[in-house]
Amino acid sequence: MVATVLRLRFTTTKHQLQREWWRVLVLVGGAVWAASLLPSTWWASRALEQQNAGVRGDALAAISAILILGWVVVPVLITGLDDTLDPGRFSSLGVAPRSIMPGLTVSIFLTLPSAFFLIVLAMLAMSWRPDGSATLAVAFAWAALTHATMVLSARVSVAWTSRVLQSRRAREAALVAILLGALVATPVAYAVVAEGLDTILNIDVPALLEALRWTPIGLPVAAVSAAATGEWWSATWRLAASLAWILLLHGVWRANVAYTLVHPTYRGGGARARDDAILAAAKRSEAGRLRRPGSAQRAVASRARRYWFTDPRYLSGLVSVMVFPALFFTLVYPIFGSPVAVVVAVPVLLAGTIGWARHNDVAFDSTALWLDVVSGRLGREVMRGRVAATLAWAVPLVTVAGLAALGLAGRWDLAPAEFGAIAGVLGTSLGVSAMSAVALPYRAPAPGENPFSAEVGSVGAGFLAQVVSSISAWIVAVPVTLPLVAAIRWDARIGWLGLVLGLATGVGVLVVSTRWAGRLYDRKSGRLVTAVA
Amino acid sequence: MAPDSPAPALALRGLRKRFGATIAVDGLDLDIPSGSFYGIVGPNGAGKTTTLSMATGLLTPDAGTVLVHGIDLWKEPDRAKPTLGVLPDGLRTFDRLTGAELISYAGLLRGLAPAMVEERRDDLLAALDLDAVGRTLVADYSAGMTKKIALACALVHAPRVLVLDEPFEAVDPVSAKAIRRILQDFAATGGTVVMSSHVMALVERVCDHVAIVGHGRVLAYGTLEEVSGGLDLEERFVGLIGDTSERRDLTWLRQS
Repeated sequence: MVATVLRLRFTTTKHQLQREWWRVLVLVGGAVWAASLLPSTWWASRALEQQNAGVRGDALAAISAILILGWVVVPVLITGLDDTLDPGRFSSLGVAPRSIMPGLTVSIFLTLPSAFFLIVLAMLAMSWRPDGSATLAVAFAWAALTHATMVLSARVSVAWTSRVLQSRRAREAALVAILLGALVATPVAYAVVAEGLDTILNIDVPALLEALRWTPIGLPVAAVSAAATGEWWSATWRLAASLAWILLLHGVWRANVAYTLVHPTYRGGGARARDDAILAAAKRSEAGRLRRPGSAQRAVASRARRYWFTDPRYLSGLVSVMVFPALFFTLVYPIFGSPVAVVVAVPVLLAGTIGWARHNDVAFDSTALWLDVVSGRLGREVMRGRVAATLAWAVPLVTVAGLAALGLAGRWDLAPAEFGAIAGVLGTSLGVSAMSAVALPYRAPAPGENPFSAEVGSVGAGFLAQVVSSISAWIVAVPVTLPLVAAIRWDARIGWLGLVLGLATGVGVLVVSTRWAGRLYDRKSGRLVTAVA
Repeated sequence: MAPDSPAPALALRGLRKRFGATIAVDGLDLDIPSGSFYGIVGPNGAGKTTTLSMATGLLTPDAGTVLVHGIDLWKEPDRAKPTLGVLPDGLRTFDRLTGAELISYAGLLRGLAPAMVEERRDDLLAALDLDAVGRTLVADYSAGMTKKIALACALVHAPRVLVLDEPFEAVDPVSAKAIRRILQDFAATGGTVVMSSHVMALVERVCDHVAIVGHGRVLAYGTLEEVSGGLDLEERFVGLIGDTSERRDLTWLRQS
């Protein structure tokens, strides 16, 4: 069975590579980049070798913690994780977890990132050479155990996040996560402000590293340190304990695989009654009579708004654009402080992220967009409706971020420049995204699917679309931020020019490119369904 | 065609579509007379869904034209699409809307006034026996209910021609009867229904015209009597398509 599962995995990869030759380039590029990091790792290992065992142990404990944290967080944040062996795909075959687990376990270790980090850890383990071959052997055990923890934690974190997001409680879960994050981050931030960074680095960080040694993350490092001082009994039980931890992690993952095997993706759930919000919105706008947009555009906008606040794929997008500014304002700024230029740049960056994140907007409809296509030549209404739904939450969000930045920096005189740049960047990046979404759509996770998965075969086309849309967004967004730079540097009054320029460019580019995207939508309408299917 | 006869409700001329090495539709010609209830039958992979997708604006043909009451669909979608009601097969719906919202959405996209949308929405929900689930998300619907709500979306703007891909699939007998009655009324008052199916008995029962499609071409077409030629439609179908599979008994499947 191990051989069968592995063959399945490699055959799928082979077919993928045959179908999209690009993926070979991505793969080779990744491998070359990873290999280029190895010399510096070797150098770090040699540098550690010169240190005493205490410093070396602390350094390796910190490295283990950072690497494991990375493996837990990164796969959740980036889409396109290899899901060839998503256990959900086995659910119709009636296999027992017992028979596929060995194959799955072997296969998750046979990936490029896993191989790369195994080499890195082995190199770092070599830094224990001065302490004799027995200690070196324990150090290699550290490398193996940390590696296993990393790879397994990634699986566990992805499995549980997607399981939570697939449930009807996705929105509540996202809110709880944000609240918890704020609850943890805020006291830390204020402690840092109160005590000062030096105190933290000199007292709290060493205390943290000491505490880390008693957690599953630091246990293997502690074992090596113990071995170096000849405490073999202490080294042995620590290694045994971390082995037990890995078995526990594996058990948790296995439990999730077992759950997935008998709970295929099912999007139903409690039947909640709702009133017809689409029609209500249409009626409100009809009653308003204030330059009423076409009813089709209204309908698309209200439909898109529903998706923004109920679909896990959109919710996770919404949360992820807010992560960076939230971290900056609650953690980075209070701790490190920042020059004015950086503080006021954050909301502008947020605007750009929101805009650019919509570069595959159309594909998120999946094949449901047939309804928009058969209903007439509606490209312009469809694209305008989509943009309107994004603006409905993006405008308040960037406004709040802009006000927060100006308040923190204490530079209200920069307000016109700041809001000019925000409006310019939001408008231009949304405009570029609208065009890219129609011109270069690529497969997005289908409704109800794991929001973190990418359909097999999407990396190549997606890569092209991402590169093209991000480069174009940069090119058009940079000029509108120049007045902000000038206002900070020379005279805040330049900001008024920036406000006019930013608003004009943002609105202008958005209107023109949405119209263009709409026309392209109509021209391509007979190819869109197949492009996103 | 006699010069004074009205333009067919749907005329497919030389339609062609190729996916990589596979030719799905190979120069297909078909005229669907106005007011007919036309069944399109064919084996799996015959090109039925591809043909109907090209006939409704969902898939650009490699070659050929589609005329809806004489209007070229791919040249003048503004004029042709409003006269078409479409129910595709195997595509998703916006399932985070409720059934009622989905019908309203379809109606508003078609440019109907909100008051009219509301009236028709309630009529459709009642007629298709979806009253009880109108306020439930489409994601929570069964396959048959999803089919019915998509049919409601195809009907809401009162089109002249209905193009339905497998409209009865997964629908229970009671609902099927209701749908049949709605469609037959529609055809009786001058509307045109084109439906694909692979259930011969159903086609024989509801359609007055039929076309048999195989390998991306029309193999036989005309009124039901013309095509079946006194035979059972199923026999005629098997005769045209050929019982291609070599008969091999699955002896190991026998229980005793």
